Amino acid sequence: MDPHTAIPSFLAAACLIPLASFVIIFLAGPKLGHAGRWAAYLATAAIATSFVLSVIAACQWFAAYPLTSAGPGHHAAAAPHVLAGTWYTLARFGELQLSVGYYVDSLTIAMFLMVSFIATCIHVYSFGYMHEELHDVHDGEVRTSSGEPLLRPGRFHRFFQFLSLFCFSMLGLVASGNLFMVFAFWELVGICSYLLIGFYIERRSASTAANKAFIVNRVGDFGMVFGLMILLGTLGTLDFGDVPGPRGEVRPGMFSLVRAAATHHALRVPAGMRELAVQAGPAEESAEESANRAAESTAQGIAETTAERAAETTTNGTAESITEGAGEWAAGGVAGGTAVSPVAEPAGEQARARRTLPLGYAWLILAGLGVFCGCVGKSAQFPLHVWLPDAMEGPTPVSALIHAATMVAAGVYLVGRCYPLFTPEVLYVVALVGTITLFLAATIALTATDIKRVLAYSTVSQLGYMMLALGVGGWVAGLFHLMTHAFFKALLFLCSGSVIHACGTNEMPRMGGLWRKMPWTAATMLVGCLAIAGVGIPLWFGLSGFHSKDAIVAQCLLFQRASPIYGWVYYVAVLGAAMTAFYMFRLWFLTFAGAPRDEHVFAHAHESPTSMIAPLVALAIMAIAAGWRLPGTAWSIPGILEQGRPLGTGEEAFAAAAWADLTVPPEHESHQAAIHVAASWSAFGAAALGIVLAVLLYGTRTWDPARIAAAARPVYVFLKNKWYIDELYHWVWVRPTLFLAACAAWIDRQIIDRLADGSAAAVRSLAYLDDGLDRRFVDGLVNGLAEATYRLGLSLKRVQSGRIRIYIVWLAAGTAALFVLASLYWGVLTT
Amino acid sequence: MATAIVLNLIIFLPTLAALILLFVPAWATEAIRRLTLGATLLVFLISLRLIVPGFGDPHNPLEQIISQARFVAGEGGYQNIIQIPWIPSFDIFYFLGLDGLSLPLVLLTTFLSVLAAAASWSITKHVKAYSILFLLLETGMLGVFTALDFFLFYVFWEVMLLPMYFLIGIWGGPRREYAAIKFFLFTLVGSVLMLIALLVMYYNSDVRRLSEQQRREALLHESVITKSLAPSEKPLHTFNLVALAKLGQAEDSPFTQQGLFGKSLAWWCFLLLLIGFLIKVPSVPVHTWLPDAHVEAPTPISMILAGVLLKMGGYGILRICYPIFPSAAYELAWLVSLLGLVSMVYGAFAAMAQKDFKRLVAYSSVSHMGYVVLGIGAWSLVPGIWDSQYWKMGMNGAMFQMIAHGLSSAGMFFMVGVLYDRVHHREIDRFGGIYGKMPAYSALAFGLFFAALGLPGLCGFIGEVLVVLASFRYSVTIAIIAASVMILTAGYILWTIQRVYLGPEYRGPHAEGLTPLTPREFSIGAALLIPAVVLGVYPQALFQYMAPSVERTVDEIAGWMRRGEIASPNGLPTAAHPNDAIREGFVQNWQPEAKANANTNANTAGSTEERVDTNTEPNTEANRKTNMNAKAELSTQPKAEVNLVAHAVASAEGG
Repeated sequence: MDPHTAIPSFLAAACLIPLASFVIIFLAGPKLGHAGRWAAYLATAAIATSFVLSVIAACQWFAAYPLTSAGPGHHAAAAPHVLAGTWYTLARFGELQLSVGYYVDSLTIAMFLMVSFIATCIHVYSFGYMHEELHDVHDGEVRTSSGEPLLRPGRFHRFFQFLSLFCFSMLGLVASGNLFMVFAFWELVGICSYLLIGFYIERRSASTAANKAFIVNRVGDFGMVFGLMILLGTLGTLDFGDVPGPRGEVRPGMFSLVRAAATHHALRVPAGMRELAVQAGPAEESAEESANRAAESTAQGIAETTAERAAETTTNGTAESITEGAGEWAAGGVAGGTAVSPVAEPAGEQARARRTLPLGYAWLILAGLGVFCGCVGKSAQFPLHVWLPDAMEGPTPVSALIHAATMVAAGVYLVGRCYPLFTPEVLYVVALVGTITLFLAATIALTATDIKRVLAYSTVSQLGYMMLALGVGGWVAGLFHLMTHAFFKALLFLCSGSVIHACGTNEMPRMGGLWRKMPWTAATMLVGCLAIAGVGIPLWFGLSGFHSKDAIVAQCLLFQRASPIYGWVYYVAVLGAAMTAFYMFRLWFLTFAGAPRDEHVFAHAHESPTSMIAPLVALAIMAIAAGWRLPGTAWSIPGILEQGRPLGTGEEAFAAAAWADLTVPPEHESHQAAIHVAASWSAFGAAALGIVLAVLLYGTRTWDPARIAAAARPVYVFLKNKWYIDELYHWVWVRPTLFLAACAAWIDRQIIDRLADGSAAAVRSLAYLDDGLDRRFVDGLVNGLAEATYRLGLSLKRVQSGRIRIYIVWLAAGTAALFVLASLYWGVLTT
Repeated sequence: MATAIVLNLIIFLPTLAALILLFVPAWATEAIRRLTLGATLLVFLISLRLIVPGFGDPHNPLEQIISQARFVAGEGGYQNIIQIPWIPSFDIFYFLGLDGLSLPLVLLTTFLSVLAAAASWSITKHVKAYSILFLLLETGMLGVFTALDFFLFYVFWEVMLLPMYFLIGIWGGPRREYAAIKFFLFTLVGSVLMLIALLVMYYNSDVRRLSEQQRREALLHESVITKSLAPSEKPLHTFNLVALAKLGQAEDSPFTQQGLFGKSLAWWCFLLLLIGFLIKVPSVPVHTWLPDAHVEAPTPISMILAGVLLKMGGYGILRICYPIFPSAAYELAWLVSLLGLVSMVYGAFAAMAQKDFKRLVAYSSVSHMGYVVLGIGAWSLVPGIWDSQYWKMGMNGAMFQMIAHGLSSAGMFFMVGVLYDRVHHREIDRFGGIYGKMPAYSALAFGLFFAALGLPGLCGFIGEVLVVLASFRYSVTIAIIAASVMILTAGYILWTIQRVYLGPEYRGPHAEGLTPLTPREFSIGAALLIPAVVLGVYPQALFQYMAPSVERTVDEIAGWMRRGEIASPNGLPTAAHPNDAIREGFVQNWQPEAKANANTNANTAGSTEERVDTNTEPNTEANRKTNMNAKAELSTQPKAEVNLVAHAVASAEGG
């Protein structure tokens, strides 16, 4: 079969089978045999099939495009192999097209394998973990109004239904061929996360955490929509790769618009952004620049001034480097803006290009930041990390699958996917956010006592590592860590689930000594701790985390050498490695070592069933070996990823930045011995230090942790309260929003409705006034007239006495009077 | 002939059923309900045959009639036209037709009428009168969506108003009289404004200004064409909406003449109609009738009110305001999109503060209909670039949002109604734990609320995303604020779900009333959720009918803009510097909220004019672009003024 059609079809099937499982369970639900037990079988079979299909697709892929380079030390100079196309069009307006498509490269393949493998493990694990839901559940955490623990029907099938929906959404997200589709699946994984965090709907804390997760993610998505707007508004497409259009033509995707082959895939501001910059320019530019602009009057003048300005900046020493020659882009640092001119532009356009490029470049930065915003939300990076620890309200398998291994890594994945669109400035922001996050989360993890929260903060911290790696140019390093982290963090969460399942509590102070009761769990968790701490013998052998963390530290060191001013992130990375080792071993010792601290819990504890242990072992093997290379071949996760390295991102040209002193070094240089050895030893030293400290404090109890906490009380309280960020957000965001809401409701009731009612009342008073007028004046006049007539009539009544004599007297008198009058006026009348 | 039968049947079958109901004894309530449901169902099935291909015997005369009346997808023009002289002395025709704008709304109306009729079993008071009024309402609504004669449109608009007044005022809740009168007065104000505009338009229209070709394209009745060809000095007025649009878009449009306060007739008519329609949408600040009407109206009437009546506003703007007065629409685009934006934000905030479940849903309607207004208003078509596709995307998104909102809001009101029927209160804070008691109901409610939330895979997503993405090309600021509304939407909807459906148990009054859904209620909910899913994953189902007509509307307006440019060749002054002209153009026209700052740029016109002669460069690429962009600024000003400037420039150059 032709791999060009077969691979996307297999991947599509891998996505859709879990969807079918979701639909069936949704419709049939508890009717699926044995109180819904069959729902679990169905969902597991579906995801296992997806895994098999992913493996088949991977085999086809690597048969068609074998791994050529020998892995580390080389960088792919050739174009990465990509299959891109459209499955189906949602809507088309002119050239604008919103479609459902695919973009398959080795990253996609690797993600498919990883997601479907871990999801299968977790489905199997959930058989055991969720078995209580098969019958009615007494939820001890919820009290009814009568004070009893709540009794509710089990929701076993619901759990697997949502898991299936999640698998569909996550695989769809990975397969997405355009940002619109990414966004749609982004929201779908978000809603799955919402449904599963709030799985125990009766618990107020769970539903609140679910709301928080979704809303905080929407804050990130808001930024992402902004990025989408810029990209769609300027490029006219959201497709990653070049896809065949409706009439058989090839529609260039975003990557080739931003990094055209003509410029050797160097970053270039696309025409659409330049036009937009012309339109919206004045809103963006600084006063200084507009003053400059005003001085220029003709196109000639424009070109001259720009040249002058470029010269000025060079002499001022603010320009980092100006590289001449076709295919490169010259970067001149300009205060507050950037001037980038692709020399390959046609000469006629050059003057215009020079004028407008800086503004267009700003749009490129904004687009990158927008997309990154979405990643900040999904990957729980500072400042939107607050939802992930609360998300631990969900069942533990959910925490392992969604909130450790796959969904939260989607943000990192998307940064990796959109890498060609990011300017060095955006990458620096990525690195900065990653650094802050890794430090902040690691410090909070030092003092947390809830076993899952420690792991949650650890996840946040590790995601920060990945972002940092991507931000300093380590595309492979970051994504490699994503893969290895998925294995060992899923393992750690499942182990913690096994512990919680056995103890019925999350609090580590109530555990201790559990290794005697749960040897398998303790052993696999130790493997996980060793892996996340990055334990290994430098330059020779190590667990998966050792390899990926080494790669990150090496890239940070390289970055520090290339741009010393921004290079402090390297020290934070090393410090973070020490803290990671410390809090993970603290967790292990508190849980498994020492004497039991709560006899009741200890007596109750038991090893978990096989359905839970088997996935632990499978994941432990991956946690050990995921970083290794198949001896004598190019087969390793970094090798696979290297094949998919986006064009232009491993090149020198990628490194040139517009900010002074900011250089993002190409990744292959980090394999140089000088860098690699130093990085490897510093990472090793940090991990060793962390482990030794943990042993001294919690293993041998040489030092008393409580005394240290008391000695540094303010710091301890600060960390214990998670840097007070939740409280800060409550006061800065939640309260004002509710206040504004109340204002809007008040305006409606008190102003708009008053106006409407008031005008109605005014009309009514007018009516009364009118009525009054009618009664007093009009009616008064008419009635008065009638009255007067009546009175006249009354007064005349007396005249009408009925006596003929009087009438005759009146008649005679009247006639006489008429004659007198007539004779008097006779003259007047006749003339 | 066949088409006339089908379309008339759709509109007047409900009336016929209402007439029949007059002769049914009032005590036979069950029969009356069934007859009503049957009539609406029949209407829906007939209207469905407009798009569903025939399966029957092609020689069957009935099939033949239906196949002739079939709506052809992919056509932008009017289909199924009926035109019969009605009041010839005033050029009023009984003129009906369907196009991609009206067909989806007709289907939505007939569909929701069936569901509302099915939901009317909860009505127990004066069932006969209720059913008769309900059926008359349906005729009015369908008439509004199919009328192509403005007078006829107005008549149907008023026909729809009265039954609604009584339906709220008699069958409503405790404050029904207040709500009904409020509804009636607000809408009546809109009607009066519409009536004024209607008269102004009629008396200023003249068919003779159109070429014979255009008269035929305007679908004028044969008698009018004959009359118009006869020599006469007297103007030949018309109410024909197609002809009015052609007149409005013509270069020498009769509506460009001066009206009051220095504004053209087009400007005034547009404004009057806009206010009239915005009351119906409703848009802030004329929206306060909606929450009251909804809270008091019985459930089925709420469904119709939110699902169909609000759509008339959006439809009117798109059908009447924009095609007939493009110049005014262009000038006031900032107002339209700003009102849409304010409605979105304000509605969302107000919804968040509500304690009454139904009021909350009502405010969410205000917020969601804001997307419609914004999508129509975001005039991203810039002279010089002539890239109309983003506006098309926005308008299609607005139309899609109307249908999507019709489904989701009707569904949400029904869901609220189901709860109210059981526990007789609507206080959000006294709910909780409904999921445990009524799982099937809650699943349906989740689906419908998520559709309103804009979740991908459900209908709300497509419309909102298209509108928001498209508004970027109009104004970056508006687009950012519009995008931020999705956070608020998620906030109030999820918070509501948490308070009503989640939690350990229901602690409010009448807990014993929380019985599972009846099959009738379940089918209504499912009937709303299924199309919401279908449209969410296959929006093309709607776009294939809708997009061609929406695009035709946009293209006509784009054509009007282009003609405006060609009318004064070389006449539009060029600016010396790209950014000068663009800056001013941008600030004045493309950033409504920057209007306040416009006086800082008061010297705009002067400076552009002065610099004209300095530009002696040949037309380079940059200059060409500049010229075209510069026109963006100028074409918003009244045409006369543009020509004046052009003239001045020409003479300056000549001198």
